[in-house]
Amino acid sequence: METTAKLAFSFIGVLLTFLLPPYLDGIARRVKARLQYRRGPPLMQTWYDLNKLFSLPSVKPTKSALFTWAPYLALASAVIGALLLPYGNVVPIDIGFNLVVFFYVILMVSVFLMLAGLTVQNAFSHLGSAREMQIILTVEPLIAILYGVLAYNAGSLNISDIIANLHLTPSLVMTYVLLAYALYVESGFMPFDIAEAEQEVIGGPLSEYSGRLLGVFYYAIYIKRFALLWFFVSLLVLPWVGPINTTLKAAEVLAVQFLLTVALYPVIASLEATNARLRIDHVVKMNTRAFFAGIVILAIAFMGW
Amino acid sequence: MVTTRDLEAHFEFECRACENGHCRKADVETILSERKGLKEFYEAFKEHIKECKRMTYGQYMFVIDREVLPEAVLWWHNHPEFKETHLSTAVGTDERPLNGKFVYMPFLNVQVEPQNMDENYWVFLKAYMPADDPSFPSVAAKLPAALWIEREVKDLLGFNPVGHPDPRRLILPEDWPEGVYPLRKDMDYRHSPMAEVKTEFKEKPEGTTLVPMGPVHMGIEEPAHFRLFVKGEEIVDVDYRGFYSHRGIEKTGEGRLTYNQVLFLAERICGICGYQHSVSYAMAVERLADVEIPDRARYIRTLMLELERIHNHLLWVGIAAHLVGYDTGFMHAWRIREPVMWLVERLTGNRKQYGMNIVGGVRRDILDYRKEEILKVVKQIREETKKFIDIALNTNTFIKRAEGVGILPYKIAKAYSVLGPTARASGRRIDTRLDQATKTAMAYNEVDFKVPVYKEGDVLARVLVRMDELFESLWIVEQLIDQMPGGDIMVPIGDLPEYEEALGFTEAHRGEVVHYVMTGEKNKVYRWKVRAPTYNNLPAVPEMLKGYHVADAPLIIASIDPCYSCTERVQFVDVETGKVKVLTEAEFNELSIKYRGVF
Amino acid sequence: MAESLSYTEKLKKWNRFEVEKFSKKAPVTTPYPFIDIEKPPEYRGIPHINPEKCIGCGACVNACPPDALILEWDKKRGVKRLTFNAARCIRCHRCVEVCPTGAMEPTNIFEIATDNKEDLVEVVEHKLAYCEECGEYLDFTERQIEYVKAILPKEIIDMYALEDRIGLTQEAKMRKTVEKLRETEGNAYPAFILVKKGGEE
Ligand code: SF4
Ligand code: SF4
Repeated sequence: METTAKLAFSFIGVLLTFLLPPYLDGIARRVKARLQYRRGPPLMQTWYDLNKLFSLPSVKPTKSALFTWAPYLALASAVIGALLLPYGNVVPIDIGFNLVVFFYVILMVSVFLMLAGLTVQNAFSHLGSAREMQIILTVEPLIAILYGVLAYNAGSLNISDIIANLHLTPSLVMTYVLLAYALYVESGFMPFDIAEAEQEVIGGPLSEYSGRLLGVFYYAIYIKRFALLWFFVSLLVLPWVGPINTTLKAAEVLAVQFLLTVALYPVIASLEATNARLRIDHVVKMNTRAFFAGIVILAIAFMGW
Repeated sequence: MVTTRDLEAHFEFECRACENGHCRKADVETILSERKGLKEFYEAFKEHIKECKRMTYGQYMFVIDREVLPEAVLWWHNHPEFKETHLSTAVGTDERPLNGKFVYMPFLNVQVEPQNMDENYWVFLKAYMPADDPSFPSVAAKLPAALWIEREVKDLLGFNPVGHPDPRRLILPEDWPEGVYPLRKDMDYRHSPMAEVKTEFKEKPEGTTLVPMGPVHMGIEEPAHFRLFVKGEEIVDVDYRGFYSHRGIEKTGEGRLTYNQVLFLAERICGICGYQHSVSYAMAVERLADVEIPDRARYIRTLMLELERIHNHLLWVGIAAHLVGYDTGFMHAWRIREPVMWLVERLTGNRKQYGMNIVGGVRRDILDYRKEEILKVVKQIREETKKFIDIALNTNTFIKRAEGVGILPYKIAKAYSVLGPTARASGRRIDTRLDQATKTAMAYNEVDFKVPVYKEGDVLARVLVRMDELFESLWIVEQLIDQMPGGDIMVPIGDLPEYEEALGFTEAHRGEVVHYVMTGEKNKVYRWKVRAPTYNNLPAVPEMLKGYHVADAPLIIASIDPCYSCTERVQFVDVETGKVKVLTEAEFNELSIKYRGVF
Repeated sequence: MAESLSYTEKLKKWNRFEVEKFSKKAPVTTPYPFIDIEKPPEYRGIPHINPEKCIGCGACVNACPPDALILEWDKKRGVKRLTFNAARCIRCHRCVEVCPTGAMEPTNIFEIATDNKEDLVEVVEHKLAYCEECGEYLDFTERQIEYVKAILPKEIIDMYALEDRIGLTQEAKMRKTVEKLRETEGNAYPAFILVKKGGEE
């Protein structure tokens, strides 16, 4: 492919990363509203909200610089995470072992959220951070194992290579199923939004945030959710469409990725709407179980199935 | 034969509520033999009983020495036969203008036989205290139900419960000076003193962190302050500080309201169970005026009460779902509830605060074309609620959060006199609708319904009790429509007798509501005491919270369906007789200019 | 109140584009306050005083639980002022029930949000009846007196000679009685008894 096309695809990737996530949230809100027999807000509503938050000053309850920087760092991590993924067949930031980097930058969003909660003297922030930490500690090993299965299956640590070389085995199917669960948990959708539970810990780590900084944090979280979903969709689509060598094909694939992402969001929204929030001990238990299942899958993968 | 001083004077009235017709001039023997247990009590405390009388149908009063108050209360509470007897609440009155004494009067709901309103009765234990030493031995050390009651009279009237285990301030704000008691008759209602802020919180136990839930918190709809002492996420101990919504309306209302106007204030005690308060108050005044209200009025009242229960239970289940993040359940519960609100609006003229009652009957009739509408709504609610419960109880995550959480064992429930669905979920078989003689104001004796009781005592049981009750209420409404008698809807009330007392009560969707009314001169009210069910349920919440997660706290707190403004706002409205002190607009403006910046 | 638009009503005049689009397939929620919502005919809204019918008797003031209605006398100017403050009104319609002339008119308006407090207040002033004899204003309004005359049967009016006595102050009435009795009885009673008798009327 020519450089112009590559640039164009990267540009589309950047655009999607920045513009799409709030719209996806808008779709989710609309779907939830319909499930609750409500009219629901316009699709732009999340953008309106963010816009309003961006235009408000923040109240800073602490002198800690981390408090101010954490949202921006989280945003940067989320954006980088999203740009490590393939759009069509183009990866905007390609540095060879993308999967590991992707794993870490996405993790960093949660870590910054957690650290931000610890910078302030607020019992609810601390509780929220503690919960966030528990979730990270239990779900990340699971994700690491699943990524390991993928890398082993394809024999590479680069996302594009993995996608190109995956071959269908029973262990891969199981990995996909478990990965869907793990990414869902990591995205912090209901019933796993325990760290930011409003009714329990008044927003957890976010409880002391306001105005622009809060907006940035929200934005980071939306982008992170988008990135995780895009990653999963890419895994679903790209390996099975054959080699992508023309621009047209790449465009088609991009369109499929896009459509699938938009189509999966309502599914997530309905899952969110029909569940109550779990308690942290429930989640820890579930994650631990999933972790052992992951180990089993890894063993199966090593056996070559 | 026992002679008591005021016997003749007290039994001059006719009690038409009595089944056996008129029973003028009952003597003490007759009174004591009317109900089971009275005689026994009299024998046990013979030396200390100064007087006994029947206030009105099914309400008995013993004037006893203050020294034996704890024994007397416990005698009733722990009576081996009357299992579900509980300490309802207590009234403190400043009767110095009348006889130079203070009065402290706990009263109990005595349950001789569950759900037999002609056997059960209320017992008032009245103790006089001299003006210079208003103290009495505390019951609270042995009976936690009295904890708040005694702290309250200490705050508002300056009584001294000797030996109270936790004599901290309960109701008055932190900046209220010591030694000023708002409910004493000599305190001017415009007086609003201020002192240094003094907070008295429980000490933090070793090795715990404090999680302050409130005074403003997402999971609590009104201001209330739960101080959770946690280890990790587990709650070890709890301190409660509430009464932020106590606004002392009592003093502002002094002398201005007539007994009919108080009714409208009573209705506004609570945002959602106002009609229960209105009926309770009306019932008390009707008992005092000794009138029999028309059957049609009784039926209409019952109908409204049940409609209120239906929409309140739906509201509650919605909130419970919301608190565990199950917003779809919340929205649907409230959507299902909406037709009831519309129906009620068409029947009474308003969605809430119906303004339907008047002492002596109701204000609007239920016309025939509306009956069909009611039946239609009832049918719709039944179907939709069934569907809703089906879905909600099949939502795994919701059940996971509600099951086995916030367990309140029967023993604790009884010791704290927990009421309503909270108590019924812990196995207490109580329901004021059937337990006490509600028949003078409501028609519960003429309909058939069951009282659901669960033994588990957890949040899920409380959900189930309420849902079962909801269906029973729908069934009651259908029966009422079917049996609605004709006739008048109200009777005029004559003059009220002076310085008489009576109790009005209903079963709100949270539990038993009681309104104690003591009349004064010129058809005014000398003392009005309101006790909403949350007042009894809330002290038991710390017991439910211990050992569970912080995440469960909002749900557990909400599971008793707390209503802080019911409990706190209009604790007492105490309308002094005679002296007319109306705060005119001009005076009010003056005050607000004077205190500009303070409020 | 009547002339000025309430805040919510103003909002309805603001043509929001969603209104049209959404009101077609509305699930449960409606774009209130941009549209009108249904009010059942039974709804008790804030009442409104019809100044044509009101006689200034004050029955509504006595019945009103939260003091939303206030009655003031201005004997100097010879007026009685009935003020209704919708902000205090709890919409119980006790006033509507007790009003003898039907001047308190029920409405089903419930949106009273406004940016000007004055909009919530309705004032009706009544001229007080004037006693020619002593040159003072009575406690009653002219309309009240007319109303009394209109509803009382002729016999009673004649019996107490109300026609010319009703417009007098209490003292003037007493004086008249005394005079009348003096005329008929020829000064037979000591004055204090006469006064008492006059007062009893
Ligand atoms: S009761 Fe009617 S007539 Fe009398 S003052 Fe009120 S509105 Fe006027
Ligand atoms: S509706 Fe009720 S509150 Fe309003 S003015 Fe009339 S009596 Fe007063």
